[in-house]
Amino acid sequence: MQYLTDVSAHRTSTGLNNRKLLMWAFLGSDVLFFGTLIATHLVYRGKSVSGPAEAILDIPVTSVSTFVLLMSSLAMVLALAAVQKGDISRGRFWLAATALLGMGFIGFQMFEFTEFAHEGLTPRTNLFGSTFLIMTGFHGAHVTVGILWLWSLFFASFNGKVRQDNSLDVEIAGLYWHFVDIVWIVIFGVVYLIGAYGVEETVHAGVGTLSALG
Amino acid sequence: MAHEIEMHENHPGPRQYVVIGVILAVLTALEVGAFLIEGVNPALMVSILLTLSFVKFALVVGYFMHLKFDDQRFLLLFVVPFIVMASILVALLALFQNLTR
Repeated sequence: MQYLTDVSAHRTSTGLNNRKLLMWAFLGSDVLFFGTLIATHLVYRGKSVSGPAEAILDIPVTSVSTFVLLMSSLAMVLALAAVQKGDISRGRFWLAATALLGMGFIGFQMFEFTEFAHEGLTPRTNLFGSTFLIMTGFHGAHVTVGILWLWSLFFASFNGKVRQDNSLDVEIAGLYWHFVDIVWIVIFGVVYLIGAYGVEETVHAGVGTLSALG
Repeated sequence: MAHEIEMHENHPGPRQYVVIGVILAVLTALEVGAFLIEGVNPALMVSILLTLSFVKFALVVGYFMHLKFDDQRFLLLFVVPFIVMASILVALLALFQNLTR
C-alpha cells in the first residue's frame, strides 16, 4: 500500500520534518511530566489517613472508558490512513469519530469525578485525592486539547485545508492523540488495576517485580 | 515550490489497524478478567497486569504511532525519556517503601 505525504516544503539538516521532530520531542518531555505525576501518586498510595481512598475506584466504569479511548486511537489511525490515500470525506468521518469518542471518555471522567465529590473525595481531602485527581485531571486536560485539535481539523477539512499532500497535519495530531491513549493505558494498568487489587502488598510486590526487571 | 515527498509504503493499512484495535480490546478484557480473579499471588498479578499493559503500550506506539516503521531517531526521542521515567519511578517506589516500612 502506498501513500504520498508532503513531508515539508523545506530541507532540514537532519532530513527529518521539523514539525514531526518537535512533536516527538514534546511527547518525550510529556513522558517525564506524566511519569512524575504517576510516581507521586504511587509513592503516596495507601498513606491517606482520612477520607475515601483507593477503594472508591470504579473498575467496571473505568474499563468501559478505557475501551472507548482505545477505540478512539483506532479511529484516529484510520483517519490518517484515509487522508494519506486522498479519501478526505472518509478521513473527515474518522476524525469526527475520534473526537466524539474522546468526548465520551471525558464524559466518563466527569461522571467519575462527580461521584468522588459526592462521596467526599476532592483534591483537598487527602493524599489520595490530591495525587489521583491531579494526575487524571491533567490527563483529561490533555484529552480536551486533543478534542479541540481534532474538531479544528474536521472543520478545516471543509475548506480544503486537509489534503493528501499535507496529511502530516493529521499525522502530528494523531501522534498527540495516541500519546494520551498510551498514558491512559499506563494509568489504567498501574493505578486502577494494580492499585485496586490490594494497595500495600501490590505496591510492594510491584517494586520487587520492577526491580527484578530493572 | 518543490515538495519533498515521503513514501509510506511500509505503513500498515486499515485492515491491519483494525486487527491491532481488536487485539487491544481483547488485551483490555484480559486485564479486567485477571483483575477479577481472587486469591492470586500479588507478585504474579502485578507481573500479569504490567505485561498486558506493556504489550498494549508497545502496540499503540509501534503500529498506531508508526515508530516501528519510522526513522529510528524518533524512537530514540521517545524511548530515552521513557527509560529515565521508569528508572525514577522504580527508584522512588523503592526509596519510599524503605522509608515508610
